[in-house]
Amino acid sequence: MTTMPGRRGFLPIRTNAFDRVFISVVLFVAVHLLWMRFLEPALPLWVATVLSVALGALIVRKG
Amino acid sequence: MMRSPTTGWLLLAPTIAVLVLTGVLPFLYVLVISFFDWNLFALNPEPRWTAANNFRRLVHDAEFLKSIWLTLLFTFWVVLSQIVLGFALARLMMRDFPFKKLFRAVHTLPLMIAPIAVGATWRLMTVPGLGPIPYYLKDWFGLDYRLSMFPDQAFASVVLMDIWHWTPFVTLTMLAGLSNLPQEPVEQARIDGAQEWQIFRDIILPFMKPVLLTTIFIRIMDALRVVDEVWMLTQGGPGAETRFIGLHIWKIVFPKTDYGYGSAMSLLTLYMTIVICWLLYAAMTARRGNAS
Amino acid sequence: MTRPGVKWTTFALWVLFSLLTLLPIWWMFLVSVKSRTDLFGRPSFLLDISRITWDNYATVIANPAFQRYMLNSLIVSTANAALVCALGLLAAYAMSRYRMRGKDNIFFWVLTNRMAPPAAFLLPLYLLYTGVFQVGDWSLFDTRIGLILLYCVLNLPFAFWLLQGIIDGIPAELDEAAYVDGASTWQVLRTIIVPLAGPGIAVTGILTWVFAWNEYLFASTLTSVNARTITTGLAEFVTVTGTNWGQMAAVAMLTLLPAALVLAVVQKHIVAGLTFGAVKG
Repeated sequence: MTTMPGRRGFLPIRTNAFDRVFISVVLFVAVHLLWMRFLEPALPLWVATVLSVALGALIVRKG
Repeated sequence: MMRSPTTGWLLLAPTIAVLVLTGVLPFLYVLVISFFDWNLFALNPEPRWTAANNFRRLVHDAEFLKSIWLTLLFTFWVVLSQIVLGFALARLMMRDFPFKKLFRAVHTLPLMIAPIAVGATWRLMTVPGLGPIPYYLKDWFGLDYRLSMFPDQAFASVVLMDIWHWTPFVTLTMLAGLSNLPQEPVEQARIDGAQEWQIFRDIILPFMKPVLLTTIFIRIMDALRVVDEVWMLTQGGPGAETRFIGLHIWKIVFPKTDYGYGSAMSLLTLYMTIVICWLLYAAMTARRGNAS
Repeated sequence: MTRPGVKWTTFALWVLFSLLTLLPIWWMFLVSVKSRTDLFGRPSFLLDISRITWDNYATVIANPAFQRYMLNSLIVSTANAALVCALGLLAAYAMSRYRMRGKDNIFFWVLTNRMAPPAAFLLPLYLLYTGVFQVGDWSLFDTRIGLILLYCVLNLPFAFWLLQGIIDGIPAELDEAAYVDGASTWQVLRTIIVPLAGPGIAVTGILTWVFAWNEYLFASTLTSVNARTITTGLAEFVTVTGTNWGQMAAVAMLTLLPAALVLAVVQKHIVAGLTFGAVKG
């Protein structure tokens, strides 16, 4: 048995709390940037905010 | 006991203070400024809050996106060539031949030279009318070599210069890895009649994986931030064909005093570097995790 | 065991590769010892001893601006190397010998400073140096102190890591014994750690000195007149119209000289240095 720190969630790698917050922030920024580039004429930016916060919460709790 | 943690923190304090002053503070500063509209030459030179407008401009900025693309392209070509070449040279260095130490020292030389001097060196080699490269390309192959006119030549020259500059680094790390390679499995495989490429694929490559990944990681991080030597060789030209991201910030955005926008760009560059860095790091540790 | 044929083929290949490595530098040396009229025409890689001229070097060295650049570079690199070694030694000692909560995170954070792309820090540092870090009329912009402090970002993580490895190699029993005899932390550092880590500190000092000497991007942005270094001086030759190639080559030769000179001393440590010990040289 390995005793590596962190845990396995649905993410492909073993993560600790810091990793999951980090991934959430990275995705938060990426979603916003891509949204501004491609989707903003159709949908306002706050949709991206809501989506990425939800995604971030999911990753932090279950990832 | 003398070893209270307090003393330890006191010893660490100066280091932390200096790094906060020159590393953390600038980061926080750029983070804040990137959400402001602040241009010294604008009608209203005071910083004003603009939320994400700087970033909105940024993702539609064709010049910026192009410089990112060029940087990635440059990174791909130099790292790929350096790894292949460096590995071959390291294998060559493993053999037994006279004056090995001398050759090794000569090979290490480019690593220590200031990047700006590397750029100067290559500029002297490539200046039309003076440098040997344009002269002999014309003389022997009838090829017209002008960095200031042909984008492909400029890009290729920058890549070649970087290969000249950094391949020794790959050679040395590979050499360090190869010299720890246990000889028994290789010889056993030879006795069993394995082909050289099979030995390479099944024994040497798996053994070298950690060193290889570390080297790739470090080389990618360095290639992404290349500035000095490219500036000396091509000034980012012709046009913007070798204007990599660092050059773009330094020479195009910075002098315009559009500080808010420049900050957003700096921050985005930092973001991309961190993401690439982290992805590589995760790939490296994940592989090692499986092995243990 | 190697067959002679393989041996000499390898040798020949290495001669070839060494020529490729040295050729650009050799060419630059040739340009630097040619007079202006000899520069153009059919390029030859042979040195015409009868036509060597040291005028380019003489002109450059006699130039007051160049003297100032050189002096600035010397002061900045030396002070930075000294500062980095001193701070790095204290920090590395703390990291190696003390039990502190969260020190692994601190270690990791210090190392990440080295990975950051300098271009992303140009703008904030420029703004901080010109507008925020100032007392009255005096600001950090265009001062040697500004550069010395700044180069710590590049060099301190490196020195910190290198010195920690060295101090870890010194048996802790030695300082335990001294503490029992009533020595203070300062005395232990001075009489035990510094002498034993001496060679390591020297290598660290030399490598950080070279890194500081070679730095260009920050030096060109955060100085204007007084604190310009030799690398910015070299770059200025390109932007000036009617480039004087001979003098530029001379300056470039003088810029790369120190690095070439210390090569032999630090060669063994370069790999470990540049990879942060991930790969042992």
